[in-house]
Amino acid sequence: MKRHMHTFLSGAKSRLLPASVPFRFFGAACVYHVLAWVALFAGADQFPHFSGGLGWPLAALHLITLGVLTMTAMGASLQLLPVATRQPVFALRAPAVIWWIYTPGVAALALGMGTGQTLLLTGGATSVVAGLAVYGALLAHNLYGARGMPNVIAHGWVALASLAVLLVTALSLAYSYGGVPILTRPLALALHVPFAAYGFMGMLVLGFSCVLVPMFALSPAIDERSVLVSCIFAAIALLGVGVAAFGIAPARLRIAALVVGSVAVVVHLRLMRHALATGLRRSLGGSFMLVRIAWGLLVASLLAALGIVLELPMAGLPTLFGMLLVAGWLLTILVGLLQRILPFLASMHAIPGSRRPPTPSTLTAPRPLAIHFYCHLAALCCLAVATMTDSPNLTRTAAVTGLAGALAFAAFFALVLWRRRHPVAMTPVRTTSVA
Amino acid sequence: MAFLRQVSRALDDEHRTNLELLGRIEQAFARASQAGMATDPDLVRLAGSFSRQLEQDIGRHFDFEERELFPRMAEAGDGDMATLLGEEHDAIRELAAELLPLARAAAKGGLAIDGWDTFRRSSLEMVDRQVAHIQKETMALLPMLDDLLDEETDRNLAFAYVSD
Repeated sequence: MKRHMHTFLSGAKSRLLPASVPFRFFGAACVYHVLAWVALFAGADQFPHFSGGLGWPLAALHLITLGVLTMTAMGASLQLLPVATRQPVFALRAPAVIWWIYTPGVAALALGMGTGQTLLLTGGATSVVAGLAVYGALLAHNLYGARGMPNVIAHGWVALASLAVLLVTALSLAYSYGGVPILTRPLALALHVPFAAYGFMGMLVLGFSCVLVPMFALSPAIDERSVLVSCIFAAIALLGVGVAAFGIAPARLRIAALVVGSVAVVVHLRLMRHALATGLRRSLGGSFMLVRIAWGLLVASLLAALGIVLELPMAGLPTLFGMLLVAGWLLTILVGLLQRILPFLASMHAIPGSRRPPTPSTLTAPRPLAIHFYCHLAALCCLAVATMTDSPNLTRTAAVTGLAGALAFAAFFALVLWRRRHPVAMTPVRTTSVA
Repeated sequence: MAFLRQVSRALDDEHRTNLELLGRIEQAFARASQAGMATDPDLVRLAGSFSRQLEQDIGRHFDFEERELFPRMAEAGDGDMATLLGEEHDAIRELAAELLPLARAAAKGGLAIDGWDTFRRSSLEMVDRQVAHIQKETMALLPMLDDLLDEETDRNLAFAYVSD
């Protein structure tokens, strides 16, 4: 009780948000995770050769990007950034306002995309953009006054700049269906995909990985100069892709951007490998297995992007690229890290009255996570083969398998919340082992 | 992250030493069979180190943080974080009090089989609690000291801590 009273008393200067704030974002992400696989099932006939345009594949894509990835990133960053940047939470009510604007907006947008109802689509897009704009303002305020952790701050600024590009292009693409585009469709698309995935989400993931991976692995401080080098190379790569979108030496600039981006990724992955190798915590379980697989899929997405730029004669390559990038890298690393973050955050907000507050490992649920692990990887494999063989049936198999995994993940989330209120006896899970 | 203050570095070093010991204890328990724990020389030796850590290091480390650092955090508006860390100290102290007689008895070879089982379970709980607690301090307390302590205070506190 003491802590809750103090949280109230310390008011706006606090760095800890009430549990309800990050958890409402994570809860919504779990729901949209389930709905994304349902939407993919509905669009299984179009998915293998999907190259844009309204329909359920587009809805599934945005349920993942906006509903799961961005939703999770907002929930995590709203709590982690004030701690990492030594800044108090600026506006305690703003995160809840963001959630209320953004969450129904994602649902409307996805439904509009799936059913082809442009009014629903543009209304949802407006709501999503408004929510993200408020989030961007909070992010900017936090980064502006930030102290410490220059690696997170640098990545944060690049993510914020990418968010600005993302919002303009998103509005343009959405309103083009209503007949009032801001930019031409090819330009908007050429900016939207890389700045949304590699720019906004990617840079947040890379930046937070530099904090979360050493923290969970209990490794010594990672080399901040190398992190900055990686960030600068990534920013240059994004700039190159941005210029190329305007038709200036597009092929050469995109290849150069891929080379520079690959350097950024190599530097980042070397840092991560070093952190895991030198950490006191070696056995990090299935969560970090997913993180490692995601890193491999990040590299694979860059190779697929190169294949597209070089116009390799390979069926389904653009769809495969999107799959590797969004479901492969971003979704896999987020669900991997979230398996650690959720019990960790929940243990910080234990319900008063228990004899000893629960620890993260007693709040986790290994069985649903094991089911999710296998289903998620099986779904990714099925999707990859489905795109290469143009197989709707395999896409349906992937959707059903992914759905089972998403339901297992949602069960894990529900169990974390349940155990937070009803602590179980201390039987620490073995994956917390150190050294 | 690299810490600028001597106090942060000293506490971080202690955290790492502490984690290494806990890791060795956890591994030793994982290796030893239920029946063989009492006669495992590695476990018996580690129980001695563990009892010293429980008896001396935890109290000294926690007392210092609660006396010198948490009030400064609270003054800077970060009282909820200080309270959270303080509550975790209480839980770890309580567990340490339960563990200490078991660790002492284990080190002297005077712990019965069922006592070893309790010792194992409580030790693993201690690993779990300390890991989570150190992760929070590394993320939220130690970097904060760059702002909370000026150079002179840092020097004085670091000197006082190592002399304690």
